[in-house]
Amino acid sequence: MRLGRYDVTLEPRTTRPAFYSALTAVGAILLALALASVLFLSAQTPLLDAYRAIFSYAFFNPNGLLATIHRSIYLLLCTYAFLVPLRAGLWNIGLPGQVYAGGIAVFAIPFVFRTQESQTLSLPPVFLILLMVASAAAAGAVVGGFAGVLRARFQVNEILVTMMLNSILFWLVAYMIKEGGPFMSPRGEGESFALPPPLHAPLLWGVPFTAVLALGAAVFLDILFAKTPLGYRIRAFGQNPAAARYGGIIPLALSLFVFLLGGGFAGLAGYHYFAALPGVYKISGNYGYFGDLSFYGIISALIARGSSLGAVPIAVLFAGLSLGARFAQGQLRLPFGVDYALLGLLMMTFVASHVLYQFRVAWRRVPSPTLRPAPTQLPPG
Amino acid sequence: MWELLARSLEASTIFLFAALGELINQRAGVLNVGLEGLMLFGGTAAFITAQATGSYPLGFLAGLAIGGLLGLAHGFFSITLRGDQVVSGMGLWILSFGLTTYLGNPHTGPLGLARITSFFGLSPFFVLGVVLVGIAWFLLFRTTQGLAIRSVGENPAAAEASGISVTAVRYVCVLCGGVLAGLSGAAYTLSYNPVWNYNFLMGWGFVSLALVFFSMWNPWILLAGASLFGIMWQLSLSPELVLPGVLSRYVWRMVPFAITIPILTVISTPWFRRRWGLARPEALGRPYEKS
Repeated sequence: MRLGRYDVTLEPRTTRPAFYSALTAVGAILLALALASVLFLSAQTPLLDAYRAIFSYAFFNPNGLLATIHRSIYLLLCTYAFLVPLRAGLWNIGLPGQVYAGGIAVFAIPFVFRTQESQTLSLPPVFLILLMVASAAAAGAVVGGFAGVLRARFQVNEILVTMMLNSILFWLVAYMIKEGGPFMSPRGEGESFALPPPLHAPLLWGVPFTAVLALGAAVFLDILFAKTPLGYRIRAFGQNPAAARYGGIIPLALSLFVFLLGGGFAGLAGYHYFAALPGVYKISGNYGYFGDLSFYGIISALIARGSSLGAVPIAVLFAGLSLGARFAQGQLRLPFGVDYALLGLLMMTFVASHVLYQFRVAWRRVPSPTLRPAPTQLPPG
Repeated sequence: MWELLARSLEASTIFLFAALGELINQRAGVLNVGLEGLMLFGGTAAFITAQATGSYPLGFLAGLAIGGLLGLAHGFFSITLRGDQVVSGMGLWILSFGLTTYLGNPHTGPLGLARITSFFGLSPFFVLGVVLVGIAWFLLFRTTQGLAIRSVGENPAAAEASGISVTAVRYVCVLCGGVLAGLSGAAYTLSYNPVWNYNFLMGWGFVSLALVFFSMWNPWILLAGASLFGIMWQLSLSPELVLPGVLSRYVWRMVPFAITIPILTVISTPWFRRRWGLARPEALGRPYEKS
């Protein structure tokens, strides 16, 4: 493209230093926040007050901060669910479905052991809680692994399969908790029975123990990808599947593995939201909202460029933003869905920053014709 | 019974418009997985415009325009910048999902205009859909321009060498695809179900995307597939008309999605690909770099 005297082209970057990844991530987030300002223009409050309302509720209000922590755990687990297959070049957009599967599996345990009716438990609660965590992870892994097998064995497009599974599991939850479904609350319509208090997830300093899982997994995943042969195989497969196959990497096992692991994380996210959040401990009627929230995990993983430790601050920020935006929207009487709009804007600025990450804009001065006159005479001799 | 069939055919029109646009896209080698996003945005724009102006034509125009613009945005990213088409498509989908939830929310509820007239209960859009399928088939398989589109999707380097501008052809195709996706969204919010609700599509766009794979990139097979899925979709919404009292209505809602997965699997097998699936555009999803 010509711009005045310069020739502007996009050239692939040969090196991508780590600080540059961080820079594009921060740039994308700041740009999305700037664009979100347009949403607040309709409110009577000045712009800075709107942002102050969001951040002070999310990070400085005791209630808000606790809610931010809870949501960060959820978003982090969703982030890993997307991140692990992404490192192998596969798109797991089945996070909502895997979260729902985890939720169903959690409530299946007290349902099967008949503990939801009488408050007396026949089995020790610790055993049951462990069983609930394991079954949530297993259910998420099965749903994810299904897409992984189809992808690896038959080359079925994983985006379509996981999306279909999202819809299937969304209606399966509706079936379970509504209109006389097996998990329906004996009191209310449209939500599941509440977990009996002994089965609530234990709290460590007021935070569910899932926080330890979420933070531990961040370290574990970065080590897995950076230091282990398995992580190397996943990355190699993600960057060039054909070359990886010649290198002796088995696509079937690898696709299955990343989807099992990713789905397991999403199942744990389901456990966290439906069985570990103080004040919830049930599948509420608006479970679809938590499914939508899980898409923030997609963006965190993308913006963090596949680094699980890098995703931690991003997920915490997004958790705070989405919560604070809901809060500010009530205060400023904005239309519903500021948190959704922010999700969309973040995705847009990510795609834009992705271009700048992959390519650099090269400016080359076009030699001006007046500077170099064409030779009019033959050189002597 | 006729009412159910007419309604099913209208539902299949929604699938058909979006999938036909995507088919033209893919024939030129551009994959747009954000089809659902284009439909959401087009449908919401059409709904808001029609409600504000009280005019159906303006509503449709807004839907087509927004769909076309988003199609061009996908084109800019995937053709000019040669970016990853899945990243851009997913980006468009989540962008539209988020923004339409915010923008459309004050308009939640019925459209409040007189319904678009139908012939004996059959939506005029179905007729339009069949006509468009005919045009698309003729264009793709019986004209020079269609040959250009297909060659760009199969082997862009060879097409370029024979004097076809790959960039221009692909841009025209993504524009067509976007406009048709916008039309599909507008037909949903203005005719099929004129009630705006957050994320009203709930997977229609992804089913349409799957339909393109089922169709083996042939518009006539696409028409058959879309009709079949329209009927299935409508039955899943009101199963009591055929099987009253059998299973919960929520179980029926899963059926169209559950059927999609095995069909996708079968058509993806090497056996099927060898036997029937040779129509898959060779350069699908790959950016073209002029050398």
